[in-house]
Amino acid sequence: MRTTECESIILGATDYGEADRLVTFFCHEHGKLRGVARGAKRSRQRFGGALEPFARLHLQVSLKEGLVRIQGADILTVFPGIRTDLGRIGCAGYACELVDRLLPEGGANPRLFRLLAAFLEFLDHSPYAESARRFFEINLLNILGYRPALEHCAGCGAGLAGLERLGFSATAGGILCRNCGTGSMPVTAATVTLLHRCLSTGRFGAVDFPPSALAEAGKLLDASIAIHLSRPLNSLVFLCELKEQAPGGSIQND
Amino acid sequence: MLHFSASLTKLLGELKKLPGVGEKTALRLAFHLLKSPANVHALAESLVEVGSRVRFCSTCFGITEADPCHICTGDRDSALICVVEEPQDMLAIERSHSFKGRYHVLHGALSPLSGITPGQLKIRELMERLERGGCNEVILATNFTVEGEATALYLARLIKPLGIRITRLAHGIPLGSDLEYVDLATVQRAMEGRSEV
Repeated sequence: MRTTECESIILGATDYGEADRLVTFFCHEHGKLRGVARGAKRSRQRFGGALEPFARLHLQVSLKEGLVRIQGADILTVFPGIRTDLGRIGCAGYACELVDRLLPEGGANPRLFRLLAAFLEFLDHSPYAESARRFFEINLLNILGYRPALEHCAGCGAGLAGLERLGFSATAGGILCRNCGTGSMPVTAATVTLLHRCLSTGRFGAVDFPPSALAEAGKLLDASIAIHLSRPLNSLVFLCELKEQAPGGSIQND
Repeated sequence: MLHFSASLTKLLGELKKLPGVGEKTALRLAFHLLKSPANVHALAESLVEVGSRVRFCSTCFGITEADPCHICTGDRDSALICVVEEPQDMLAIERSHSFKGRYHVLHGALSPLSGITPGQLKIRELMERLERGGCNEVILATNFTVEGEATALYLARLIKPLGIRITRLAHGIPLGSDLEYVDLATVQRAMEGRSEV
């Protein structure tokens, strides 16, 4: 068992026993880990308010097989801007849950760590935007190797250049040409171009989807993610419920 | 594995269901009870009494024996409602003797990650209570966790159209603490929420 300090983002935490917390965190150096913080609810000095979802911190951990032991935490940021807006809380929770569910334990993934950190940073300073969520999703799928094929037909392998009306199938693994895509989800070339731009632009807020493209990209990405999950995400159910209840479907606070 | 009499095994099983009680603690408690039969009867009686008499108040959803509870029927300020997550939070505020209004217990907090949605809390009951009128201010006293903050933001959005004043508990440096030992997030919040002297 060796003790080390690592930069981490808390993906989720639950109470464990009388005073402990069971924490899932994404560590820059060691990937996704689960650990127990003994006495976390009692010791304000060692943990303070650090072990909260989507907080970014330096964790002192004892690495071992199974659950690692969390010895202490120094907060880098708790993203105070996110905590002022219900939509941003929901979206940050969604991003963390998505990483938790799609990323296997162990094995460093610094690219994904940077993506999640950049998304939380963006949410901390900007109002909730559906485009940013889709930007995060397509890049996450790309890093994890789950990205749907966008350059050529996932059915016959033909190039898609010059084709305007296309189809999409998550089970086929991507965009389909007119011949292969009969009965599949319709997608326009403009939406595919915007998704491409999301992958080539390394900055949140740089790609803005018009409403029709946002709806198409949303359906495409939701289906691409759902195919890798055994059950729906809790945070997605939460976000959908907020949208249904909010006037005009906006989940931002006034 | 040790084998005890059937009744003792049953008692150990029940004790282990309590929070913070494991195998060893359950054994210690059980043997302590066996040594003092008078205590066993008193404990059993009070457990049965609690089970049959204690319930939730139909107005504030706090713990009570009489429905509505003494806080909801007493001469406390009915224009002031303090919203808390759990009955224990209500007791914490009562212990401070700093609040003379009434309460509403939500029995939880919204949690995007655990999938706890508004329908699972006593939010509809709170809104019905506020819509009946007579309340001038709602104090949101949910915890300062992500879940508590989400709940406060959600309630603020629901209550705002009713034209009722909405306030949130202050937060910052705990009394009697040294600034150098306070965590970064708390210092940030305290600095943002500083007040004039």
